[in-house]
Amino acid sequence: MGLPLYGAQDDPGPSFLAYAEREGLVSVTARSEALSPHATTVVALRYAEGVVMVGDRQATANYVASRDVRKIEAADRYTALAISGSAARGMEFIRMAQLSFEHYEKMTDTALSLEGKANYLSPIIQRNNLGTPLVVIPLLAGWDPSHRRGRVFEYDGAGGCYERQDFATIGSGSPFAESALRLGFRADLSLEEALDLGALALYEAGDNDPATGGPDFVRGIYPMMVVLDERGFTELPSDDVAARFRTIQERRAATSGVAGGTLR
Amino acid sequence: MSNYFYVSPQQLINDRAEFAQKGIARGRSILAAIYDVGVVMVAENPSASLNKISEIYDRIAFAGVGRYNEFDRLREAGIRWADGTGFTYSREDVDARALANYYAQHIGDMFTEGPKPLEVEILVAQLGGTLRPTKLYRVAYEGTLTDEPHFAVLGGDAETIRSRFEASEAEPDGLATTLRHAVAALAGPERTIPVEDLEVCILEDRGGRRTFVRLSDAEVATLLTD
Repeated sequence: MGLPLYGAQDDPGPSFLAYAEREGLVSVTARSEALSPHATTVVALRYAEGVVMVGDRQATANYVASRDVRKIEAADRYTALAISGSAARGMEFIRMAQLSFEHYEKMTDTALSLEGKANYLSPIIQRNNLGTPLVVIPLLAGWDPSHRRGRVFEYDGAGGCYERQDFATIGSGSPFAESALRLGFRADLSLEEALDLGALALYEAGDNDPATGGPDFVRGIYPMMVVLDERGFTELPSDDVAARFRTIQERRAATSGVAGGTLR
Repeated sequence: MSNYFYVSPQQLINDRAEFAQKGIARGRSILAAIYDVGVVMVAENPSASLNKISEIYDRIAFAGVGRYNEFDRLREAGIRWADGTGFTYSREDVDARALANYYAQHIGDMFTEGPKPLEVEILVAQLGGTLRPTKLYRVAYEGTLTDEPHFAVLGGDAETIRSRFEASEAEPDGLATTLRHAVAALAGPERTIPVEDLEVCILEDRGGRRTFVRLSDAEVATLLTD
Protein backbone atom coordinates (compact mmCIF):
# COMPACT_ATOMS: atom_id res chain seq x y z
CA MET A 1 0.00 0.00 0.00
CA GLY A 2 1.46 3.35 -1.03
CA LEU A 3 0.91 6.70 0.61
CA PRO A 4 -2.83 7.45 0.14
CA LEU A 5 -2.74 11.09 -0.99
CA TYR A 6 -5.80 12.67 -2.56
CA GLY A 7 -6.66 15.97 -4.16
CA ALA A 8 -9.29 18.17 -2.55
CA GLN A 9 -11.91 17.04 -5.10
CA ASP A 10 -11.60 13.30 -4.59
CA ASP A 11 -10.64 13.19 -0.91
CA PRO A 12 -12.66 10.51 0.94
CA GLY A 13 -12.73 12.70 4.06
CA PRO A 14 -12.62 11.29 7.59
CA SER A 15 -14.71 8.20 6.71
CA PHE A 16 -12.60 5.05 6.91
CA LEU A 17 -15.21 3.14 4.95
CA ALA A 18 -15.11 5.57 2.03
CA TYR A 19 -11.34 5.26 1.96
CA ALA A 20 -11.31 1.46 2.39
CA GLU A 21 -13.81 0.97 -0.42
CA ARG A 22 -11.89 3.21 -2.76
CA GLU A 23 -8.64 1.38 -2.08
CA GLY A 24 -10.24 -2.07 -2.31
CA LEU A 25 -9.49 -2.98 1.32
CA VAL A 26 -13.05 -4.23 1.77
CA SER A 27 -15.09 -6.30 -0.62
CA VAL A 28 -18.46 -4.77 -1.38
CA THR A 29 -20.08 -7.84 -2.89
CA ALA A 30 -19.11 -10.80 -0.67
CA ARG A 31 -22.13 -13.15 -0.28
CA SER A 32 -20.68 -16.44 0.78
CA GLU A 33 -21.50 -16.97 4.44
CA ALA A 34 -24.40 -19.40 4.01
CA LEU A 35 -22.70 -21.79 6.44
CA SER A 36 -21.46 -19.18 8.87
CA PRO A 37 -22.61 -19.71 12.48
CA HIS A 38 -25.13 -17.33 13.97
CA ALA A 39 -24.72 -15.14 16.98
CA THR A 40 -27.80 -14.55 19.11
CA THR A 41 -29.47 -12.58 21.89
CA VAL A 42 -28.29 -9.21 23.20
CA VAL A 43 -30.38 -6.72 25.19
CA ALA A 44 -29.74 -3.06 25.97
CA LEU A 45 -31.80 -1.07 28.46
CA ARG A 46 -31.58 2.47 29.69
CA TYR A 47 -31.49 3.27 33.37
CA ALA A 48 -31.32 6.56 35.26
CA GLU A 49 -27.61 7.20 34.59
CA GLY A 50 -26.76 5.24 31.47
CA VAL A 51 -27.29 1.98 29.63
CA VAL A 52 -26.88 -1.67 30.61
CA MET A 53 -26.18 -4.32 27.97
CA VAL A 54 -26.31 -8.08 28.40
CA GLY A 55 -25.39 -10.59 25.71
CA ASP A 56 -25.12 -14.36 25.54
CA ARG A 57 -21.92 -16.08 24.41
CA GLN A 58 -23.08 -18.79 22.03
CA ALA A 59 -22.64 -19.00 18.27
CA THR A 60 -25.03 -21.46 16.72
CA ALA A 61 -25.04 -23.23 13.35
CA ASN A 62 -26.91 -26.58 13.32
CA TYR A 63 -24.78 -27.29 16.37
CA VAL A 64 -23.11 -25.13 19.02
CA ALA A 65 -20.27 -23.57 17.02
CA SER A 66 -18.74 -21.63 19.89
CA ARG A 67 -19.57 -21.08 23.55
CA ASP A 68 -17.50 -18.03 24.32
CA VAL A 69 -18.13 -15.47 21.58
CA ARG A 70 -18.02 -11.82 22.60
CA LYS A 71 -21.01 -10.21 20.94
CA ILE A 72 -20.68 -6.88 22.73
CA GLU A 73 -17.55 -4.85 22.11
CA ALA A 74 -16.48 -1.37 23.06
CA ALA A 75 -16.63 0.62 19.84
CA ASP A 76 -14.79 3.39 21.66
CA ARG A 77 -14.62 4.75 25.19
CA TYR A 78 -18.32 5.69 25.47
CA THR A 79 -19.96 3.38 22.96
CA ALA A 80 -20.72 -0.32 22.77
CA LEU A 81 -21.70 -2.25 19.71
CA ALA A 82 -23.42 -5.63 19.76
CA ILE A 83 -24.23 -7.92 16.86
CA SER A 84 -26.65 -10.65 15.95
CA GLY A 85 -26.83 -12.68 12.78
CA SER A 86 -23.92 -13.96 10.75
CA ALA A 87 -20.91 -14.18 13.07
CA ALA A 88 -18.37 -13.72 10.30
CA ARG A 89 -20.05 -10.56 9.04
CA GLY A 90 -20.73 -9.37 12.56
CA MET A 91 -17.10 -9.52 13.64
CA GLU A 92 -16.10 -7.67 10.50
CA PHE A 93 -18.82 -5.16 11.20
CA ILE A 94 -17.58 -4.46 14.74
CA ARG A 95 -14.02 -4.12 13.50
CA MET A 96 -15.05 -1.68 10.80
CA ALA A 97 -17.08 0.39 13.26
CA GLN A 98 -14.30 0.54 15.87
CA LEU A 99 -11.74 1.53 13.30
CA SER A 100 -14.05 4.07 11.67
CA PHE A 101 -14.81 5.93 14.90
CA GLU A 102 -11.12 6.09 15.82
CA HIS A 103 -10.17 7.08 12.27
CA TYR A 104 -12.65 9.95 12.33
CA GLU A 105 -11.33 11.10 15.69
CA LYS A 106 -7.72 11.11 14.50
CA MET A 107 -8.49 12.77 11.18
CA THR A 108 -10.58 15.59 12.62
CA ASP A 109 -9.25 15.78 16.19
CA THR A 110 -12.86 15.57 17.45
CA ALA A 111 -14.88 12.55 18.48
CA LEU A 112 -17.88 11.65 16.35
CA SER A 113 -21.18 12.37 18.13
CA LEU A 114 -23.20 9.35 19.30
CA GLU A 115 -25.89 10.14 16.76
CA GLY A 116 -23.19 10.46 14.10
CA LYS A 117 -21.94 7.00 14.99
CA ALA A 118 -25.47 5.59 14.84
CA ASN A 119 -26.09 7.09 11.41
CA TYR A 120 -22.70 6.01 10.09
CA LEU A 121 -23.69 2.35 10.58
CA SER A 122 -26.89 2.54 8.50
CA PRO A 123 -25.33 2.29 5.02
CA ILE A 124 -23.00 -0.49 6.19
CA ILE A 125 -25.99 -2.53 7.36
CA GLN A 126 -27.82 -1.79 4.16
CA ARG A 127 -24.86 -2.88 2.06
CA ASN A 128 -24.40 -6.01 4.17
CA ASN A 129 -27.99 -7.11 4.19
CA LEU A 130 -29.72 -6.25 0.94
CA GLY A 131 -29.21 -9.19 -1.38
CA THR A 132 -27.77 -11.49 1.29
CA PRO A 133 -29.80 -14.32 2.80
CA LEU A 134 -28.09 -14.00 6.19
CA VAL A 135 -28.07 -10.63 7.79
CA VAL A 136 -26.27 -8.79 10.53
CA ILE A 137 -28.32 -6.61 12.85
CA PRO A 138 -26.32 -4.52 15.30
CA LEU A 139 -27.32 -2.70 18.44
CA LEU A 140 -25.57 0.51 19.37
CA ALA A 141 -25.66 1.93 22.87
CA GLY A 142 -23.58 4.46 24.66
CA TRP A 143 -23.19 7.40 26.94
CA ASP A 144 -23.72 10.63 25.03
CA PRO A 145 -21.30 13.13 26.58
CA SER A 146 -22.86 16.11 24.81
CA HIS A 147 -26.44 15.31 25.95
CA ARG A 148 -25.40 13.72 29.25
CA ARG A 149 -27.53 10.59 29.02
CA GLY A 150 -27.40 6.99 27.94
CA ARG A 151 -28.88 6.28 24.50
CA VAL A 152 -29.89 3.12 22.64
CA PHE A 153 -30.18 2.77 18.85
CA GLU A 154 -31.67 -0.22 17.10
CA TYR A 155 -31.69 -1.05 13.38
CA ASP A 156 -33.83 -2.93 10.93
CA GLY A 157 -32.46 -5.19 8.21
CA ALA A 158 -32.56 -2.42 5.61
CA GLY A 159 -30.34 -0.16 7.66
CA GLY A 160 -33.06 1.97 9.25
CA CYS A 161 -31.87 3.45 12.55
CA TYR A 162 -34.29 4.06 15.43
CA GLU A 163 -33.52 5.52 18.81
CA ARG A 164 -35.25 3.76 21.69
CA GLN A 165 -36.16 5.50 24.92
CA ASP A 166 -36.53 2.28 26.89
CA PHE A 167 -34.80 -0.88 25.69
CA ALA A 168 -33.94 -2.86 22.60
CA THR A 169 -33.19 -6.51 21.86
CA ILE A 170 -31.54 -8.29 18.94
CA GLY A 171 -31.15 -11.92 17.96
CA SER A 172 -33.29 -15.04 17.90
CA GLY A 173 -34.03 -14.94 21.64
CA SER A 174 -35.51 -11.44 21.34
CA PRO A 175 -39.20 -12.33 21.87
CA PHE A 176 -38.44 -13.93 25.23
CA ALA A 177 -35.99 -11.27 26.39
CA GLU A 178 -38.35 -8.54 25.25
CA SER A 179 -41.26 -10.02 27.24
CA ALA A 180 -39.25 -9.88 30.43
CA LEU A 181 -38.09 -6.34 29.71
CA ARG A 182 -41.62 -5.15 28.93
CA LEU A 183 -42.89 -6.40 32.25
CA GLY A 184 -39.97 -5.17 34.33
CA PHE A 185 -38.89 -1.89 32.74
CA ARG A 186 -39.36 1.51 34.38
CA ALA A 187 -37.82 4.77 33.24
CA ASP A 188 -36.18 5.34 36.64
CA LEU A 189 -34.43 2.00 37.12
CA SER A 190 -31.31 2.12 39.26
CA LEU A 191 -28.12 0.52 37.99
CA GLU A 192 -28.61 -2.57 40.18
CA GLU A 193 -32.23 -2.97 39.07
CA ALA A 194 -31.25 -2.56 35.42
CA LEU A 195 -28.49 -5.16 35.74
CA ASP A 196 -30.86 -7.64 37.39
CA LEU A 197 -33.60 -7.04 34.82
CA GLY A 198 -31.13 -7.36 31.92
CA ALA A 199 -29.79 -10.62 33.35
CA LEU A 200 -33.31 -11.97 33.84
CA ALA A 201 -34.26 -11.06 30.25
CA LEU A 202 -31.23 -12.91 28.95
CA TYR A 203 -31.92 -15.87 31.22
CA GLU A 204 -35.44 -16.09 29.73
CA ALA A 205 -34.00 -16.01 26.21
CA GLY A 206 -31.46 -18.72 27.06
CA ASP A 207 -34.17 -20.82 28.68
CA ASN A 208 -36.57 -20.69 25.71
CA ASP A 209 -34.49 -20.16 22.58
CA PRO A 210 -32.30 -23.11 21.55
CA ALA A 211 -29.82 -20.81 19.76
CA THR A 212 -29.19 -18.62 22.81
CA GLY A 213 -26.71 -19.77 25.40
CA GLY A 214 -27.69 -19.12 29.01
CA PRO A 215 -25.26 -19.19 31.92
CA ASP A 216 -22.98 -22.22 31.60
CA PHE A 217 -22.24 -23.25 35.18
CA VAL A 218 -20.41 -26.38 34.03
CA ARG A 219 -17.80 -24.54 31.98
CA GLY A 220 -17.94 -21.32 33.96
CA ILE A 221 -18.93 -19.26 30.90
CA TYR A 222 -21.44 -16.51 31.62
CA PRO A 223 -23.19 -13.88 29.51
CA MET A 224 -21.43 -10.55 29.05
CA MET A 225 -22.72 -7.65 31.13
CA VAL A 226 -21.68 -4.13 30.25
CA VAL A 227 -22.41 -0.74 31.80
CA LEU A 228 -22.14 2.52 29.85
CA ASP A 229 -22.24 5.67 31.93
CA GLU A 230 -20.31 8.91 32.19
CA ARG A 231 -17.16 6.96 33.01
CA GLY A 232 -17.48 5.11 29.72
CA PHE A 233 -17.57 1.38 28.91
CA THR A 234 -17.22 -1.04 31.86
CA GLU A 235 -17.55 -4.79 31.60
CA LEU A 236 -18.65 -6.57 34.77
CA PRO A 237 -16.16 -9.16 36.03
CA SER A 238 -17.11 -12.77 35.41
CA ASP A 239 -17.67 -13.68 39.10
CA ASP A 240 -20.09 -10.77 39.53
CA VAL A 241 -22.05 -11.96 36.49
CA ALA A 242 -21.90 -15.55 37.74
CA ALA A 243 -23.39 -14.52 41.09
CA ARG A 244 -26.31 -12.72 39.42
CA PHE A 245 -27.18 -15.72 37.25
CA ARG A 246 -26.74 -18.14 40.13
CA THR A 247 -29.32 -16.13 42.11
CA ILE A 248 -31.80 -16.33 39.24
CA GLN A 249 -31.07 -20.04 38.81
CA GLU A 250 -31.69 -20.78 42.50
CA ARG A 251 -34.91 -18.76 42.54
CA ARG A 252 -36.13 -20.70 39.55
CA ALA A 253 -35.14 -24.03 41.05
CA ALA A 254 -37.19 -23.20 44.16
CA THR A 255 -40.34 -22.87 42.00
CA SER A 256 -39.54 -25.83 39.72
CA GLY A 257 -38.55 -23.69 36.75
CA VAL A 258 -41.46 -21.26 36.50
CA ALA A 259 -41.21 -17.57 37.30
CA GLY A 260 -43.81 -18.20 39.98
CA GLY A 261 -46.35 -15.48 39.30
CA THR A 262 -43.94 -12.55 39.68
CA LEU A 263 -41.07 -11.29 37.61
CA ARG A 264 -38.18 -12.91 39.39
CA MET B 1 9.18 22.31 -30.73
CA SER B 2 9.67 24.48 -27.72
CA ASN B 3 12.99 25.82 -26.58
CA TYR B 4 14.43 24.88 -23.17
CA PHE B 5 16.98 27.03 -21.46
CA TYR B 6 19.69 24.90 -19.94
CA VAL B 7 19.73 24.94 -16.13
CA SER B 8 22.36 22.82 -14.44
CA PRO B 9 21.00 20.23 -11.98
CA GLN B 10 23.10 21.86 -9.26
CA GLN B 11 21.53 25.23 -9.92
CA LEU B 12 18.05 23.73 -9.99
CA ILE B 13 18.53 22.01 -6.65
CA ASN B 14 20.00 25.12 -5.05
CA ASP B 15 17.07 27.22 -6.23
CA ARG B 16 14.50 24.72 -5.04
CA ALA B 17 16.24 24.26 -1.69
CA GLU B 18 16.34 28.00 -1.15
CA PHE B 19 12.65 28.25 -1.98
CA ALA B 20 11.71 25.47 0.44
CA GLN B 21 13.93 26.78 3.23
CA LYS B 22 12.38 30.23 2.96
CA GLY B 23 8.89 28.79 3.21
CA ILE B 24 9.74 26.66 6.21
CA ALA B 25 11.61 29.47 8.01
CA ARG B 26 8.44 31.60 8.04
CA GLY B 27 6.83 29.32 10.64
CA ARG B 28 7.81 28.41 14.19
CA SER B 29 9.88 25.34 15.04
CA ILE B 30 9.02 22.05 16.71
CA LEU B 31 11.15 20.08 19.11
CA ALA B 32 10.58 16.39 19.83
CA ALA B 33 12.57 14.56 22.48
CA ILE B 34 12.69 11.12 23.98
CA TYR B 35 12.27 11.17 27.77
CA ASP B 36 12.69 8.31 30.25
CA VAL B 37 9.34 6.64 29.50
CA GLY B 38 8.03 8.29 26.36
CA VAL B 39 8.30 10.88 23.61
CA VAL B 40 7.32 14.53 24.02
CA MET B 41 6.63 16.85 21.09
CA VAL B 42 6.53 20.60 21.64
CA ALA B 43 5.41 23.17 19.09
CA GLU B 44 5.03 26.88 19.35
CA ASN B 45 1.53 27.30 17.93
CA PRO B 46 -0.72 30.27 18.71
CA SER B 47 -3.70 28.49 17.13
CA ALA B 48 -5.59 26.15 19.41
CA SER B 49 -7.33 24.32 16.58
CA LEU B 50 -4.90 24.16 13.65
CA ASN B 51 -2.65 21.51 15.06
CA LYS B 52 0.92 20.74 14.09
CA ILE B 53 1.14 17.54 16.12
CA SER B 54 -1.25 14.64 15.70
CA GLU B 55 -1.92 11.01 16.50
CA ILE B 56 -1.27 8.59 13.64
CA TYR B 57 -1.63 5.21 15.30
CA ASP B 58 -1.43 3.40 18.63
CA ARG B 59 2.26 4.19 19.14
CA ILE B 60 2.96 6.65 16.32
CA ALA B 61 2.69 10.43 16.24
CA PHE B 62 3.17 13.04 13.54
CA ALA B 63 4.53 16.58 13.65
CA GLY B 64 4.89 18.99 10.75
CA VAL B 65 6.27 22.46 10.20
CA GLY B 66 5.95 24.78 7.22
CA ARG B 67 2.84 25.20 5.08
CA TYR B 68 -0.18 23.95 6.99
CA ASN B 69 -2.16 22.70 3.97
CA GLU B 70 0.82 20.68 2.75
CA PHE B 71 1.74 18.93 5.99
CA ASP B 72 -1.89 18.41 6.96
CA ARG B 73 -2.49 16.46 3.77
CA LEU B 74 0.55 14.33 4.62
CA ARG B 75 -0.81 13.83 8.14
CA GLU B 76 -4.16 12.61 6.77
CA ALA B 77 -2.40 10.29 4.35
CA GLY B 78 -0.39 8.90 7.27
CA ILE B 79 -3.51 8.14 9.32
CA ARG B 80 -5.15 6.47 6.31
CA TRP B 81 -2.06 4.47 5.57
CA ALA B 82 -1.72 3.31 9.19
CA ASP B 83 -5.41 2.44 9.67
CA GLY B 84 -5.51 0.72 6.28
CA THR B 85 -2.38 -1.33 6.99
CA GLY B 86 -3.62 -2.31 10.45
CA PHE B 87 -7.00 -3.31 8.99
CA THR B 88 -5.48 -5.39 6.21
CA TYR B 89 -2.81 -7.12 8.32
CA SER B 90 -2.62 -6.56 12.06
CA ARG B 91 -2.16 -3.60 14.41
CA GLU B 92 1.32 -4.98 15.18
CA ASP B 93 2.38 -4.58 11.58
CA VAL B 94 2.06 -0.81 11.47
CA ASP B 95 5.64 0.44 11.57
CA ALA B 96 6.70 4.09 11.73
CA ARG B 97 9.78 3.41 9.61
CA ALA B 98 7.67 2.31 6.66
CA LEU B 99 5.56 5.46 6.97
CA ALA B 100 8.62 7.70 7.29
CA ASN B 101 9.98 6.08 4.12
CA TYR B 102 6.80 6.86 2.21
CA TYR B 103 6.95 10.45 3.38
CA ALA B 104 10.61 10.69 2.37
CA GLN B 105 9.86 9.29 -1.09
CA HIS B 106 6.92 11.58 -1.67
CA ILE B 107 8.64 14.72 -0.38
CA GLY B 108 11.78 13.79 -2.34
CA ASP B 109 9.77 13.30 -5.54
CA MET B 110 8.03 16.62 -5.08
CA PHE B 111 11.39 18.31 -4.50
CA THR B 112 12.91 17.12 -7.76
CA GLU B 113 9.89 16.62 -10.01
CA GLY B 114 6.97 18.53 -8.51
CA PRO B 115 5.75 21.89 -9.79
CA LYS B 116 7.31 23.28 -6.63
CA PRO B 117 8.98 21.61 -3.65
CA LEU B 118 6.85 21.03 -0.56
CA GLU B 119 7.64 23.67 2.06
CA VAL B 120 7.45 21.20 4.95
CA GLU B 121 9.49 19.16 7.35
CA ILE B 122 7.95 16.12 8.96
CA LEU B 123 8.62 14.13 12.09
CA VAL B 124 7.34 10.60 12.65
CA ALA B 125 7.76 9.51 16.27
CA GLN B 126 7.35 5.95 17.45
CA LEU B 127 7.04 4.86 21.05
CA GLY B 128 8.99 1.66 21.61
CA GLY B 129 7.48 -1.51 23.03
CA THR B 130 8.13 -5.22 22.95
CA LEU B 131 8.26 -5.21 19.15
CA ARG B 132 10.02 -2.00 18.16
CA PRO B 133 12.36 0.61 19.59
CA THR B 134 11.51 4.24 20.34
CA LYS B 135 12.40 6.25 17.23
CA LEU B 136 12.31 9.78 15.90
CA TYR B 137 12.35 9.93 12.10
CA ARG B 138 12.83 13.34 10.55
CA VAL B 139 12.05 13.98 6.89
CA ALA B 140 13.56 17.18 5.48
CA TYR B 141 12.06 19.26 2.63
CA GLU B 142 14.23 17.53 0.01
CA GLY B 143 13.30 14.04 1.19
CA THR B 144 16.30 13.25 3.39
CA LEU B 145 15.28 10.77 6.06
CA THR B 146 17.23 10.80 9.33
CA ASP B 147 16.83 8.74 12.46
CA GLU B 148 17.52 10.97 15.47
CA PRO B 149 18.76 9.12 18.55
CA HIS B 150 17.62 11.50 21.33
CA PHE B 151 15.80 14.53 19.97
CA ALA B 152 14.90 16.25 16.72
CA VAL B 153 14.23 19.86 15.77
CA LEU B 154 12.15 20.85 12.76
CA GLY B 155 11.84 24.29 11.24
CA GLY B 156 13.81 27.30 10.20
CA ASP B 157 15.76 27.98 13.36
CA ALA B 158 16.67 24.33 13.89
CA GLU B 159 20.43 24.67 14.40
CA THR B 160 20.23 27.29 17.16
CA ILE B 161 17.47 25.43 18.98
CA ARG B 162 19.34 22.17 18.58
CA SER B 163 22.50 23.52 20.24
CA ARG B 164 20.49 25.18 23.06
CA PHE B 165 18.68 21.91 23.84
CA GLU B 166 21.86 19.86 23.57
CA ALA B 167 23.56 22.12 26.09
CA SER B 168 20.77 21.71 28.65
CA GLU B 169 20.00 18.03 28.26
CA ALA B 170 22.69 15.49 27.48
CA GLU B 171 20.68 12.37 28.35
CA PRO B 172 16.94 11.56 28.33
CA ASP B 173 15.36 12.83 31.58
CA GLY B 174 11.85 12.90 33.12
CA LEU B 175 8.90 14.48 31.30
CA ALA B 176 8.79 17.73 33.31
CA THR B 177 12.53 18.39 32.94
CA THR B 178 12.58 17.51 29.25
CA LEU B 179 9.55 19.71 28.59
CA ARG B 180 11.14 22.62 30.46
CA HIS B 181 14.37 22.25 28.44
CA ALA B 182 12.42 21.98 25.21
CA VAL B 183 10.37 25.12 25.88
CA ALA B 184 13.49 27.05 26.91
CA ALA B 185 15.31 25.90 23.77
CA LEU B 186 12.40 26.93 21.54
CA ALA B 187 12.06 30.34 23.23
CA GLY B 188 15.74 31.28 23.45
CA PRO B 189 17.24 33.48 26.17
CA GLU B 190 15.33 36.68 25.32
CA ARG B 191 11.71 35.64 25.48
CA THR B 192 9.26 33.31 27.18
CA ILE B 193 6.48 31.54 25.29
CA PRO B 194 3.08 31.81 27.00
CA VAL B 195 1.56 28.43 27.86
CA GLU B 196 -1.47 29.01 25.61
CA ASP B 197 0.89 29.32 22.62
CA LEU B 198 2.38 25.89 23.27
CA GLU B 199 1.12 22.70 21.69
CA VAL B 200 2.43 19.75 23.67
CA CYS B 201 1.70 16.09 22.96
CA ILE B 202 3.22 12.92 24.33
CA LEU B 203 3.42 9.23 23.53
CA GLU B 204 3.46 7.26 26.76
CA ASP B 205 2.23 3.85 27.91
CA ARG B 206 -0.72 4.12 30.30
CA GLY B 207 -2.00 0.57 30.09
CA GLY B 208 -4.26 1.11 27.05
CA ARG B 209 -3.74 0.48 23.38
CA ARG B 210 -3.47 4.12 22.37
CA THR B 211 -0.52 6.06 23.76
CA PHE B 212 -0.98 9.53 22.26
CA VAL B 213 -2.10 12.32 24.61
CA ARG B 214 -2.60 15.99 23.83
CA LEU B 215 -1.76 17.87 27.02
CA SER B 216 -4.06 20.70 28.08
CA ASP B 217 -2.72 24.19 28.90
CA ALA B 218 -3.27 23.47 32.59
CA GLU B 219 -1.30 20.23 32.43
CA VAL B 220 1.53 21.96 30.57
CA ALA B 221 1.59 24.80 33.10
CA THR B 222 1.77 22.29 35.97
CA LEU B 223 4.63 20.40 34.34
CA LEU B 224 6.55 23.62 33.67
CA THR B 225 6.30 24.85 37.27
CA ASP B 226 7.09 21.46 38.83
